[in-house]
Amino acid sequence: MRDPENATVDVELPEDFDDFWAAGLADCASYPLDPVLTELPNLSTDTVIVNDLHFTSYGGLRIAGWYAVPRDRPGPLPGLVTIPGYISEPTVPKEWAELGYATLAIAPRGKLRSNDVFDPGYPGLLTHNIVDPNTYGYRGFYLDVVRAVEVLLDRPDVDNQRIGLQGSSQGGGLGISTAALMPDVIRCVAAGAPYLCGIMTAPTLTRSYPYEEINEYLRIHPKDVDRVRETVAYYDGLNFAPKVQAPTLLYLGLEDDVCPPETGFALHRALTCEKTLHTYPHCAHHAGPSGRDADRGGLPCRAPHPGTVNRWTPN
Amino acid sequence: MDPELTFDAYWSAIDEELAAIPGRPVLDVVPARTTDEAAFYSLRITSTGPYRVYGNLSIPRGDGPFPGLLITPRYGSVNNVPHPNDRSRYVVLSLMHRGQRLADEGFAAAYPGLLTMGIDDPSTYVYRGIAADCLRAAEFLMGLSEVDPARVAVTGDDLAVLTAARRPGFSSVRVTDLLFYRAMEARLKSCLYPLEELNDHLRRGSSAEGLSTTLSYYDPARHAPAVTGRTLLSIDDEDWCRSLLAALPDPEVYPVTHLDGTDNDFLDAWLAERSAVPAMSKFIA
Repeated sequence: MRDPENATVDVELPEDFDDFWAAGLADCASYPLDPVLTELPNLSTDTVIVNDLHFTSYGGLRIAGWYAVPRDRPGPLPGLVTIPGYISEPTVPKEWAELGYATLAIAPRGKLRSNDVFDPGYPGLLTHNIVDPNTYGYRGFYLDVVRAVEVLLDRPDVDNQRIGLQGSSQGGGLGISTAALMPDVIRCVAAGAPYLCGIMTAPTLTRSYPYEEINEYLRIHPKDVDRVRETVAYYDGLNFAPKVQAPTLLYLGLEDDVCPPETGFALHRALTCEKTLHTYPHCAHHAGPSGRDADRGGLPCRAPHPGTVNRWTPN
Repeated sequence: MDPELTFDAYWSAIDEELAAIPGRPVLDVVPARTTDEAAFYSLRITSTGPYRVYGNLSIPRGDGPFPGLLITPRYGSVNNVPHPNDRSRYVVLSLMHRGQRLADEGFAAAYPGLLTMGIDDPSTYVYRGIAADCLRAAEFLMGLSEVDPARVAVTGDDLAVLTAARRPGFSSVRVTDLLFYRAMEARLKSCLYPLEELNDHLRRGSSAEGLSTTLSYYDPARHAPAVTGRTLLSIDDEDWCRSLLAALPDPEVYPVTHLDGTDNDFLDAWLAERSAVPAMSKFIA
């Protein structure tokens, strides 16, 4: 019988972890952000203005996003970056804008509209160049979210003292990494069923995708196991966690087959910031009853299609 | 013009188009996903247009035939690879419809955007081709010698109902989501996507009547009477789904608990029982 709350999840901290990410941030800083906003009347409503957004990120790639703001609410507004799940595309964040946030829904590299140059596929991203931390596919992906926050910092309609991150699964994992890389900027994080925590332990606890990709990779390349472990240690949320300063809300499904709850509990232990943990028995990767999104730092539940379950797809 | 005749003619034309286009399937073994439990293949097959679409196919090891399972595409650019649990028990085919990743040579679907692409005219609506893709996948699955024709299921959203309605042989239909059902009413209940795409489209000046006409061809309640298999609807508002339930010849309702661990296990067990295979939980206890 599993005991996820007390399970051991070990991750080695690379000696040059901080230098590694400092180099990534330096690369980003070497490119002008060059944000381009284009208002989209066809997607806007009486209450929300929707913009297409493009900006320059790591390696000089142009990254896309949706930027939505309330139409008639005076700024500066609280800022929010929403981060997509692994197989999900960023949705236009009208619902967040209606609540009063200046919201940037980022499409990190490889997501549609940001995949002209880098397009590893899904499945694919998790194991893309996984034997080398410097060229691992997630390097730019992580930094794209940091850059998205910098876009908000650059916006005159955003209150720089009120910027938060929200996401589940991959969005939850990258919320942690981004908050760690920007401790002086991020004011709060809501992370559900966080992915990319305990990256080498998770595949031993589940056969569900995306972690099954690592099992598949090692089945074909068993001799690469040490190089894989070395690479993903730079990307493991458990190594980022102690650097997070923002108050953080975690929410976990105790029967999560995608991101094993053991890794979520390990993250909670590793966080040294003000933190809140919600756990949900009998819930899987939705990390909570879909009728109680408010418990997860999210929206009051309004299912997109009444009569069926909420179509929200965290992964 | 008789609306019902129009409906039948619309779908008969799609069937005729498919019949005129050989599928020419190509299977390639995927070593990384091939295990002692199941052999895994990528599938490329031709649908209407003509258009080459993609599928993930897995066939259990051992003596068949095995129950078949078609997973219709979800609304999104990516579908999950079939879970190892399903691969060990079913001949399982997960389709990527035109425009989804891996089936995006020449056409990459936009999100938002796909739901309303060409919607002002039923003959140009992108889902006409997507439905054809599902029907082609069904034909392929049912044609495999490894599949027990008495135990073939389809699972998904409205596309699962449509596929079961137009391709006889599905003994079980598992409906886990709805997109087209009462869509013009549902779009008014929130600003969440994908149904918000309908509102966006109307803001551009299209007529609600035109959208309603096109969407009516994809209403699962209109397709439901032709479904011959037992059909499970996983829903939390039976009243909302009343007309669909009434139209299905052999419906069953699962009231979702919104505890997705519980719901997932039930949905698995329901299909497993009907397919005479063991129930399995994705969560390894």
